[in-house]
Amino acid sequence: MNDNSTARLRRSPLLAVLLWVIGVTLLLAFPFIISQESYILHVAIVVFFNICLATSMWLIWSLGFVSFAHAGFMGIGAYTSALFLLRLGLPLWVGVWAGALVGAVIALVVSLPLMRTRAVYFFMASWAVGEVIKRIFAYYRSFFGGWEGLFKIMPPKLGPIDFANRTAYYYLAMALMVLIVLAVYRMNKTRTGWIFWSIHEAEVLSSHVGIHALKYKVAAFTIASTLAAMTGALYAHYHMYINPRSFDIWASEFALVHIIVGGLSTVAGPVLGATFLTIVDELLRPTEFYRIIIFGVILILTVLFLPGGLESIPRRIRARFWRLPDDKENQKSILKAFGKGRK
Amino acid sequence: MTLQLIVQMAITGVTLGLIYGLIAIGLTLIFGVMRIIQYAHGEIYMLGAYFLYYWFDKWHLPYWAGFVMSAVVIFFFGAGLQLLLFRPLHGKDMLYSLAVSLALIFIISSAGIIAFGAVIRGISSFVTGQIRIAGAEWTYERMVIAGISLVLIIALWFLLQRTKIGLAMRAVAEDPETSSLQGINNRRIHWVAMGLGSALSAMAGCLMGTLMFIVPSMGFLATIKAFMIVIMGGLGSVPGALVGGFVIGFIDSFLTTLATSELAYIIGFVTIFVILVFKPSGLFGQAWE
Repeated sequence: MNDNSTARLRRSPLLAVLLWVIGVTLLLAFPFIISQESYILHVAIVVFFNICLATSMWLIWSLGFVSFAHAGFMGIGAYTSALFLLRLGLPLWVGVWAGALVGAVIALVVSLPLMRTRAVYFFMASWAVGEVIKRIFAYYRSFFGGWEGLFKIMPPKLGPIDFANRTAYYYLAMALMVLIVLAVYRMNKTRTGWIFWSIHEAEVLSSHVGIHALKYKVAAFTIASTLAAMTGALYAHYHMYINPRSFDIWASEFALVHIIVGGLSTVAGPVLGATFLTIVDELLRPTEFYRIIIFGVILILTVLFLPGGLESIPRRIRARFWRLPDDKENQKSILKAFGKGRK
Repeated sequence: MTLQLIVQMAITGVTLGLIYGLIAIGLTLIFGVMRIIQYAHGEIYMLGAYFLYYWFDKWHLPYWAGFVMSAVVIFFFGAGLQLLLFRPLHGKDMLYSLAVSLALIFIISSAGIIAFGAVIRGISSFVTGQIRIAGAEWTYERMVIAGISLVLIIALWFLLQRTKIGLAMRAVAEDPETSSLQGINNRRIHWVAMGLGSALSAMAGCLMGTLMFIVPSMGFLATIKAFMIVIMGGLGSVPGALVGGFVIGFIDSFLTTLATSELAYIIGFVTIFVILVFKPSGLFGQAWE
């Protein structure tokens, strides 16, 4: 009865397709809707970068880990691509793949020991990795430019299109964002994605079922770090200037905040969180230090009063108006279906 | 490298090691009893130091009274944080307590910059003078600070091992369910442990502020050190925190003198990483989930 009608409302394919079409059209037409205003385009590009970073970090979270080395890998991509341009004269088109490759190799080598640690120890070990990456950039001054960083990382050209134009870079950043979100979304839907979540839920149990947990953990970490490195390459060529501070633990922490405020259980979480918080951040920019305080307050309020994050709002609204089983009952039924939850 | 230099670096290493140990023991106590990541531990340390600065340098009240007051005020501040923010998250994923303490870092450090100003200050010394042994300078201030840290650490050990409430804390850390079956009020132990850990951190802040300088952003540096130490020694292990404190203290003292503080950081983090590769739960730690 009631349940059926709501289910139809919820799963109407026509509505979903319509929403997707509207969304994609809006995204594509956005620069012209705002008549290519430079500042708003800048905010949009920053939103895309933050979505990339948060989404790739969420991929590691789907195994139950929060990597504080994430911004460090973004830095590896940024520095590789920048050095390719500055030392070898190769444009972003080569640099982004070189950055991805270097990031992937380092992530693979580092993650083999790193992924053996658990919970709090992983938190600290990944923090150490991120911090060492940042400080190595600062320490080898002649090669990486020290704390002053690298300058004049020019955006690339492609035929007649010069990506120094913000509208052009908007589409480039959007392409990367779509690529990363789709890749993570698809991966999450496959068998591999289910294996990731099984490791998240109960690592010991999943390895008893025959899942080689370490292999999947290393794979997820490497893939996510590679995606972060690609984001870093685009970041470097957009800002045209990078220094080690852009890639320190705070960048990883802000990505974590985006995920938590957005929601932890689906890929919509990091997308919503990064979009919402980046825009809030820009709106609050004139308030200087109060901006960070407000950030902290938003985070605390989310954790205490909206533990599912922004992505759970539609479900909460639906639960209120259509009397769907609310959050707790939902969880109970899920737990029942899977036998028994942890703890 | 002369003997004098080595002795001088060793003195600094021991003093730093004891103060770091104090911060780290506070952190490890909080983790051990409540299983939460108190990421804002360093901000608490900063608040403790600023309390003493205002008490002693601005209001010209006695130093040691300020030291005790700072500990008492921060004890209740920490306990309040536990009751208000961390208690509702008890038993949930560790990520949530990490998020709340991350938010506390944002709030406290920015509010600190607004309230105290981003200026480097120092708490004045309570004693001056020095003696020379083996060519090195042993300032009285440094010796008193090392002594106080040592006394505090011993007092904490005594509290944990020889008193009823210490026994209760260890019981809660060991097994919360069984301990509450024995009639221990877990919630009370939680806020007492949180307050105690915070107070230790505040006292370390007072000592460090007297020895070096204070600035609103000093908290995060202390958080880094505290986590390095605690992870190295193993979470929840008090002797581990002390050993880790000395390791990091000596790395800091020797490498900062002989090379640069940059290198001290890199070596410190690499040391942690290598230890975790071979002992994924730290030197003295248990495998906490």
